[in-house]
Amino acid sequence: MPKSQYVRASFETCATPQFRVLSQDQCESIFLGALEVLQHTGAEVNSPEALEIYRKGGCRVDGTRVRFPSHLVEWAVRTAPSRITMYDRNGNRSMYLEGQNVYYGPGSANTFTLDPFTGERRRPLKQDTARAAIVSDALSNMDYVEDNGAPMDVTPTLADVHAFQAMVTNTTKPIIHWGFGINQYQDIVDMASACVGGLSELQKRPFLILYSESSPPLRHSSEAIDKALFAAKKDLPCIYTPCIFSGGVAPATMAGSLVVAVADALIGIVAGQLVREGSSFIMGGPISTMDMSSSSLAYGAPELSLLSAGLSNVARYMGIPMFSTAGCSDSKVIDTQLAIEAAFSILVAGLSGANLIHDCNLMDKGVTGSLELTVLDDEIIGMVKRILRGIEVNDDTLAVDVIDHVSPGGHFLGEEHTIERFRDEFWWPTLISRVRYDEWKLYGSKTLGQRVKEKTQEIINEHRAEPLSQKILDQIQAVVDRAEAREASLKSKK
Amino acid sequence: MYNFSDLSKAVIAGQESKVKELTQAAINGGAEPLAIINEGLIAGMNVVGARFKSGEMFVPEVLVAARSMGAGVAMVKPLLLGQEVPSSGKVLIGTVKGDLHDIGKNLVALMLESGGFDVVNLGIDLAPDKFVAAVKEYQPQVIGLSALLTTTMLVMKDVIELLKEEGLRDRVKVIIGGAPISYDFSSEIGADGFAPDAATAVDLCRKLLA
Amino acid sequence: MPTKSNYVANSSTMFRVLSPSQCDEILLAAEEVLERTGVMVYDEEAREIMKKAGCWVDGARVRIASSIVERSLRSAPQRVTLCNSRTGSRDVQLEGYNAYFGTGSDTPFFIDPYTQERKRGTKQLVSWACKCIDALPNLDFVMSLGIVQDVPLLISDRHQFEAEVLNTGKPIVITAHDIKGYADIIEMCEIIAGGEEELRRNPFMTLYAEPISPLQHAEEAATKLVLAAKKGLPVVYTPCVMAGGTVPASMAGVITNGLAESLSGLVINQTAREGAPFIMGGVFTIMDMTTTIFSYGSPEFDLLMAALADMAHYLKLPMFGTAGCSDSCIMDEQAGVEAALSITMTALSGPNLNHDVGYVEYGSTSSLDLLVTCNDIIGMARRLVRGIQVNDDTLALDVIDKVGPGGNFLKEDHTGKYFRAETLNSELNDRQSYDLWKESGSKTMEKRANEKTRSIIEDYQPEQLPKDVQQKIHAIVERAENKLRS
Repeated sequence: MPKSQYVRASFETCATPQFRVLSQDQCESIFLGALEVLQHTGAEVNSPEALEIYRKGGCRVDGTRVRFPSHLVEWAVRTAPSRITMYDRNGNRSMYLEGQNVYYGPGSANTFTLDPFTGERRRPLKQDTARAAIVSDALSNMDYVEDNGAPMDVTPTLADVHAFQAMVTNTTKPIIHWGFGINQYQDIVDMASACVGGLSELQKRPFLILYSESSPPLRHSSEAIDKALFAAKKDLPCIYTPCIFSGGVAPATMAGSLVVAVADALIGIVAGQLVREGSSFIMGGPISTMDMSSSSLAYGAPELSLLSAGLSNVARYMGIPMFSTAGCSDSKVIDTQLAIEAAFSILVAGLSGANLIHDCNLMDKGVTGSLELTVLDDEIIGMVKRILRGIEVNDDTLAVDVIDHVSPGGHFLGEEHTIERFRDEFWWPTLISRVRYDEWKLYGSKTLGQRVKEKTQEIINEHRAEPLSQKILDQIQAVVDRAEAREASLKSKK
Repeated sequence: MYNFSDLSKAVIAGQESKVKELTQAAINGGAEPLAIINEGLIAGMNVVGARFKSGEMFVPEVLVAARSMGAGVAMVKPLLLGQEVPSSGKVLIGTVKGDLHDIGKNLVALMLESGGFDVVNLGIDLAPDKFVAAVKEYQPQVIGLSALLTTTMLVMKDVIELLKEEGLRDRVKVIIGGAPISYDFSSEIGADGFAPDAATAVDLCRKLLA
Repeated sequence: MPTKSNYVANSSTMFRVLSPSQCDEILLAAEEVLERTGVMVYDEEAREIMKKAGCWVDGARVRIASSIVERSLRSAPQRVTLCNSRTGSRDVQLEGYNAYFGTGSDTPFFIDPYTQERKRGTKQLVSWACKCIDALPNLDFVMSLGIVQDVPLLISDRHQFEAEVLNTGKPIVITAHDIKGYADIIEMCEIIAGGEEELRRNPFMTLYAEPISPLQHAEEAATKLVLAAKKGLPVVYTPCVMAGGTVPASMAGVITNGLAESLSGLVINQTAREGAPFIMGGVFTIMDMTTTIFSYGSPEFDLLMAALADMAHYLKLPMFGTAGCSDSCIMDEQAGVEAALSITMTALSGPNLNHDVGYVEYGSTSSLDLLVTCNDIIGMARRLVRGIQVNDDTLALDVIDKVGPGGNFLKEDHTGKYFRAETLNSELNDRQSYDLWKESGSKTMEKRANEKTRSIIEDYQPEQLPKDVQQKIHAIVERAENKLRS
């Protein structure tokens, strides 16, 4: 019952928790800094095709050095769409990469994998990629799939093609995937097209995002930039990112690292927009501090979360969907460190409102992939999503009447108000344990790590994604066979 | 034979008004009063107990189901004509002196009631002589003592000692619970059992009375 | 360098759960609860004081007019400072968004760092806990962690305080069984501070009490609030509320009810003596509806505590928060997840005196290994909250231009100048390469944390109190024991 017919005026609500690292003015400073770097310092680009496109587009090209007038870069930021709708393999809309919508998933390109059955750290196989797809397919908080390591039991130059085959046949969820070169990209696009009935269908309802990574600072090989051109030509969404570590390939200051990250992303966005105005680009990528003891990117450091959140603020300022990083660790085993770093980064990335958050499987500084970590992260994401839902404040939730009805010393368990709300207000754990000590002991004193391992094995053994028709499977196999034949003939030519 | 499945379902769903309505219908339809309780109301509550254990139902729903069952039993009771309402046993329960915390104790009472026990909830801040007087008055088979604080848990021992002095210790089982309690403490003070949570308390009472 | 105008910078990360409008609405709802429903006050003196101040007393039920609540909010100071008992340095300034971390108190059980067995708290374990806190740079204050149970239980609070104050100079949040316990402990504190006046002027401690939810102030709690006011010593008053159990299941209802408990405690304290230092607390969480535990690790707990921090800032009251704790029965991955989430949310939202670091088993057991681990998590969270500084020097456009495309920044002076300040040096988090990690024994974090705990216990020496002070303190403990015997 409302108190009266009153209407509340000038009432501002935090519909979700509010978090930001950089103010609007600071975002502008980072963006303007990147424009200055692009105009004054410019970039090294080693692709004849890209150089020609930049020259025609109005850049100052001097050998392989390209300098970008600010107006051109600003035009590209304006024409790149601020929203990308992703579909699943069945053509249903599944991710709206826009605003501050948050989606989580695993990462790729690790060179080792932690076997969820033997506990052994070993080289990834094609079967591991299939398992990665199965595990992500089964977990409700994983919104897309990546490959969990380039398989090493296939033709080395076609690891990307084989990985895609293993993924697309084992999940209906959207896929983010990398490739060695344009030929492989074509193979992957052909396989994806086969699933949905042709390239134009895939363009209309993309379930594939192509991924390309440049070599910062400000250096773009033909392998990197040509893939951005390819995606724009094919009218498919593309993630174009550098992998930034502060103090190594970027200044040691956080602000300076963001400037390099933004500048390097813009080089791909400009190329894409010059090829096809309005083509879909996503910026971001792993950005962290360099661990000075091992000279590699720290995946569990707080700086990864801080930089990623700062970059998400800038991406939002620019109106470009953001590809962020979380759920990863530097730990070598499933232990408390892994859990702490995963939880910390998943929380901060979620709060930052980044659209695609990846690497929910990478440990050992990104060297090793673990499906157990994916399963653990799924639970943590559930917790974080509850936090992100925030607190609703109105007469009904304030419950003043219920408090009065129960009165001091009573309890709320049987109140209708409680019955109606507790299921939605509370997050329900599946792996987190809240049993009492004696019961916990009775059932074997298991750590969360042990429960995670059991669930991972169960998913791999039990879960199967909706299958593709035999006809489509054959078409996909034909693409793989074609690729194998091409690589064999290239090899024999050498 | 009267079909009680709708009545049981209403208990499971915790729909008090529907339980009352169906109980009245059963009475009007000439169903045996004891059968209404056993095959309708308690049968429904047994399902609730099982579902709670397996994690399909949760505390607030158990409470509402128990409450709706109680409403039905209250309607049938006057018709029993001297027959007892079926019960798993009578349990006295209270929080010991110095302690006002009672949500845990209330949960135990709730779970025992839904498990078919006849529960007398004595309240909070109870000195040993209050427990002893209540044992004399209600003649329970089990008495449950609750404490949240390490200082007040010592009162549990005093209660047991006083029961011995009064010659009542053999007539009643003593169970204890609360955050600082452990199995070790329970045997140290000579209690008959310790339940770490409300659901276990029900099992413990069943075991002690078997 | 260009001159800027109208430029807004975030000097730290910015975070909030509730808008000012929402805080206002919750405050008004809590005031309505106090005016309409009221609270139980089971202490006659407290009721008398409240009655004199204009509250409506009806038996043990006391209803409080909004004007009295608001007067108390105005009279309570918005800042409380706690000092180090050895140096007198005013290290812990409970005000604004300053977030300090420390342990909780009075768990019945401890995990022994040598055997990993769960056992009842002892004086030695509490001493070890305080030594650890004294040694850990990111922990700022202590509570006892466990209950000392190898001494006569009815006066164990005196032993507990002795174990604490002998092993750390950091500020102490003191728990006691009752008013007599507090009398003895305050006497000890005054000896350490050098007098009653000195203790009040520069306290190294705060008293502590809890209401019982929903809306009840037990005799012990109310008398502690009155005692603190009379003594002019700070007091933490902290409702422990469980959504769906002792308060409504809706999050806004949880805060409303919990806040009504805090504010009625504030009224008892401020009507006893206006201007007494009061620290508003809270452990606001859910009852797990499957196991019925009071959850110390749920996401609702993280969210509620952050929202309560918004309320405390809105009310301009120092706040006692809760973080670094877990529902897991041991230090494991779950403890890591839950501690990381609560510590990060707490650091972001900025409540002042944050306790319960090192709790496992939903507050029933303490783990020194988790405590030591949380020192690193707090370091991570503090690094995050420091945020990103943006200025011409940190934007580093000249350095980027000098290094040029494809270069590297390792040898730049700019890197040398900033790297250490910008990057957290974590002690327990391993960032070695796989092979080096393997060579150094393939240790999990659990193992590394336990080694650190043991090395602190064995090697660390906290600064001692003067011998005569130690003797005087011990004499008071003995006096209490003798009294108990006779």
